Amino acid sequence: MAKFCLKDSEKYYLTLSERPKRFHADSPVTNVFFDDTNGQVFTVRSGGVTGVTVNGMDDSKCTSFRMEDKGPIISIKFSPDHKVLAIQRNLEGQNATVEFANFKDLMPTNVEYCHICKWKNAKILGFVWPKANEIAFITDHGIELSQVQPEKKQLKTLKSTSFSAAWFSWCPQSNIILLAGNNGILLQPFSLNNSTITKLQKLEVESSRPVMERDVFVLRLCGAAWCALFKHGPVSNTTSSPGPTEVWLVPISGGGAVQHVLKTGLVGRFAVSVIDDLVVIHHQSSQTSLIFDIMEEAKPENNTVVHKPIVQGISMRPAVVDEQTCPMYSGNWVVFQPHYVIDARLGCLWRLELNLAGLAHEVPKEDISNIVGVLLRRNNSKETIYRILNQLVEHAGTYLMELTHCFDEINAVYRRWADLEVARNTAGCPPPAQGHFPALVSQADMCTHVLYKHSHTLLVQVVTAYLSSLSRYELVVQHAVCELVVRSLVRAGEGGRLRALVRRGALQDGRPLACQLLSLGHLDPAAAQVALDMMWRLRAYGEIVEVLLSREEPVSAAGAARQAGAWGSLAARKLLSAAQQHSRPETFLAIYHALRTRNERLRGTPDFLTEEQCGAYIEYYKQLMSES
Amino acid sequence: MVLVVRIPYAAKTPSTPGESKEVIETSVIYDLLVSAYKMFRMFVGPFKDIPPEDIYTKCEQFFTPYIMSRNIANDLSNIIQGINYLPLEKNSFFKVVCFIDLLEITYPDFKCVSFVYNEQLIWNGLATNDMLTLYQYLVQTLLPKQVEKEIQGGAVTAAVRHGRFISPPEGIRTSEDLKKLHKVYLMREDDTEMKQYYLIIYRTLSATVCFTIDVNTTLDLDTFKSLDAFIGPKLSTIASSISEQCAVHALQNAQLSSSEHKFLYFNRLNLACKTSTPPSLTPSTAVKPEVLSIIAGIHADRKSLGNYGEIIIKTPDEYWITGKSSNDREFYVIIQEKNANLKDIADEVKRVCEEQMKGIFFYPI
Repeated sequence: MAKFCLKDSEKYYLTLSERPKRFHADSPVTNVFFDDTNGQVFTVRSGGVTGVTVNGMDDSKCTSFRMEDKGPIISIKFSPDHKVLAIQRNLEGQNATVEFANFKDLMPTNVEYCHICKWKNAKILGFVWPKANEIAFITDHGIELSQVQPEKKQLKTLKSTSFSAAWFSWCPQSNIILLAGNNGILLQPFSLNNSTITKLQKLEVESSRPVMERDVFVLRLCGAAWCALFKHGPVSNTTSSPGPTEVWLVPISGGGAVQHVLKTGLVGRFAVSVIDDLVVIHHQSSQTSLIFDIMEEAKPENNTVVHKPIVQGISMRPAVVDEQTCPMYSGNWVVFQPHYVIDARLGCLWRLELNLAGLAHEVPKEDISNIVGVLLRRNNSKETIYRILNQLVEHAGTYLMELTHCFDEINAVYRRWADLEVARNTAGCPPPAQGHFPALVSQADMCTHVLYKHSHTLLVQVVTAYLSSLSRYELVVQHAVCELVVRSLVRAGEGGRLRALVRRGALQDGRPLACQLLSLGHLDPAAAQVALDMMWRLRAYGEIVEVLLSREEPVSAAGAARQAGAWGSLAARKLLSAAQQHSRPETFLAIYHALRTRNERLRGTPDFLTEEQCGAYIEYYKQLMSES
Repeated sequence: MVLVVRIPYAAKTPSTPGESKEVIETSVIYDLLVSAYKMFRMFVGPFKDIPPEDIYTKCEQFFTPYIMSRNIANDLSNIIQGINYLPLEKNSFFKVVCFIDLLEITYPDFKCVSFVYNEQLIWNGLATNDMLTLYQYLVQTLLPKQVEKEIQGGAVTAAVRHGRFISPPEGIRTSEDLKKLHKVYLMREDDTEMKQYYLIIYRTLSATVCFTIDVNTTLDLDTFKSLDAFIGPKLSTIASSISEQCAVHALQNAQLSSSEHKFLYFNRLNLACKTSTPPSLTPSTAVKPEVLSIIAGIHADRKSLGNYGEIIIKTPDEYWITGKSSNDREFYVIIQEKNANLKDIADEVKRVCEEQMKGIFFYPI
């Protein structure tokens, strides 16, 4: 199968951020915690006595301090404004308690207090910070949302909801928490927005088996919250290995009613990340990361859309740590939402990054347009799109079909954007669903970044393909494209095609186009013919009069001026000069008489004014009259 | 040299249509002669390339059946030798053009020189003169025979849908068939002189596509088989979409009551020709020979109208014939009306012109 390879692209489409955040982890007295709300790693040495270091991608939020060792820590997290540190410890006989310490400028102030949940005997499963001064405790009895009042050293309960939960999953980007009840048979999401707890519609999990905690993730994707559920193939008695795992994306809120199924085709342990609205499924044993785009065009069947990876899965680019390649997909890795990877042994915190050009490194020919479609939905992707298009245009002999499909992808997006703009401008108020258009390739962009860079013989076919795509999406051909079309067709000696395009209305009428065609008239009379037609449709009477005068057609020029209502102001000298050059003296006489009539009507006398400089023509008239 | 050979055939031609009792307009006969020669030149070659001892037999072999096969009638559509273009919405037109582009890129030896739907031209890749000759060959000689075959043979219907080579007439199945390909002398749009090409014609449903290949190319049966597989399905899709569009178009035209006056339009630059009575429709409303003769006269005598002008002629039996020439186009309207005056006719012609020739610029008077 023919494959397309984007020049100078590397094969990896995923990389770990160049310089990982380092933390010291390789000690038996050190414990590492991760806070996915703030994206921070806490390294606690000797229970905090010899120091706590907080590392994150944001250097201004990194700090280190010491604290008393009051017992083994289960969870430690800063509030989003870094003014309060909350710690949950594993202490015998002291359940349902979370400690708080006030911080100022990222250093402890020694103001400490604690909070005991309303369900005294409950077991705290964890806590989350939905807002700077709000904390939610998730217990096996339910959720308690409290307001932290650091200055008063106390918490005020805002709301609580009873729910018998076994474990939970939290999405800080959408403040949605998913509780697993009934040992994982029932998945119940709650929203912690607006300082309250809102119970959302429970998720239908078509599974008789309870769902395991490690198989559930709450993701923020395409502006909505989703529950990603790993469904492992059943282990049948006949075959020893289970079927491939599918990832079901069930909408929690804002995602409509359609659910997505991602076919991994793999079996084993998985982790999930989200980058730029793409779902990345990491598979440990094969060391591959599959990318899925749930925005790709597909028709839902039974409210479900099935997706395959957008490109064949490969591993991330091997990372280098301490000048050594570090083991990838290692068992020490922990993947956190949305796109963090931690190697707890090496002490590295990476951000997962997308390398867009890598997506086009090795693509089956017929999938190129899909990749362009994927890129059009990504941020900062225009450069890569141009690179792909330029390479396709360069080899238009091989890729004309694919190029046409790419143009269609681009113009389909542009059309949707244009429709939304029109709706927005006419309705007066913004429509509820604003589209997401990270990469809009306009006609001017296409000319500047792609089409103008080429001049080979197949440009005619490329430009025609582009025009046909614009036409399919009912986009008006803009002047930049029009000019390019005329230029490339004329250069290639395709005047016939140019005229056919104009005649069939494939190039919209416009004065610049009409003038271009007119200027081709000395080589190709048919171009001038269609140019005049176009001027006529555009009601460019002034230009028509000029053209007719230059063709020594004074009578029709006068007629055109009459139609334009410009008869009165048409310069007599110009008209007479054209009439004199006309081969038939009758023409001159007719024009002369018509002008005299005009003079009489305008000024009451048939004579020409001296400033009209018609002396020579008056003489010529007299000469003609004396001859006859 | 050319002139010398013409004369005996000019003398011969009037006898052929003599069966019909009408008098044939001399300009029509003249046009027939010219097109007969052009056809000869396209399929046999220019006289200068034929050895003098062969010229008589060659002419005999070509002209006799050709002239015999032509049925010349006094009809509006015969007055001017032109091409009937298919009006097509731009997206369908793009389908045709992009199909041709893709084909020429995939098979660089093949060049598409014309795309005809039914009897109407959509795409042309020849110099204007040859385009008319090839068009006439298709519409007057090849396609009528082909259509007849298609109507008779029930077994070929599958092939009609899938498409097949119709020139050579038996199709291209074996390497023997390749030797039967017609050779023609043509000037393609990008040629500067006449060259010899193989002419290959392919047809699916009502769409007919002509290709040329340089005669020096080594022909390979596999290429033709692969071309067949390439064109067949694509062309059939295009042909059906055009047919849908034509059906819509025909419906609209039927609702839009056709002009009660007959007209004839001709564009000298692309030889586009349009008449109020589509050629395939009933000839019962034939125009009177005198009227035709007048129109033929105006058309033949370009000087009378020049680049730009208008003439109105009234016959004793209340026919008003208007001829307009402007911007390399000609437009004729026949109005039969009693008690009309010149201004009525001029206004009526203006109305017909605006109605039928939307978006086309006629020099105002």
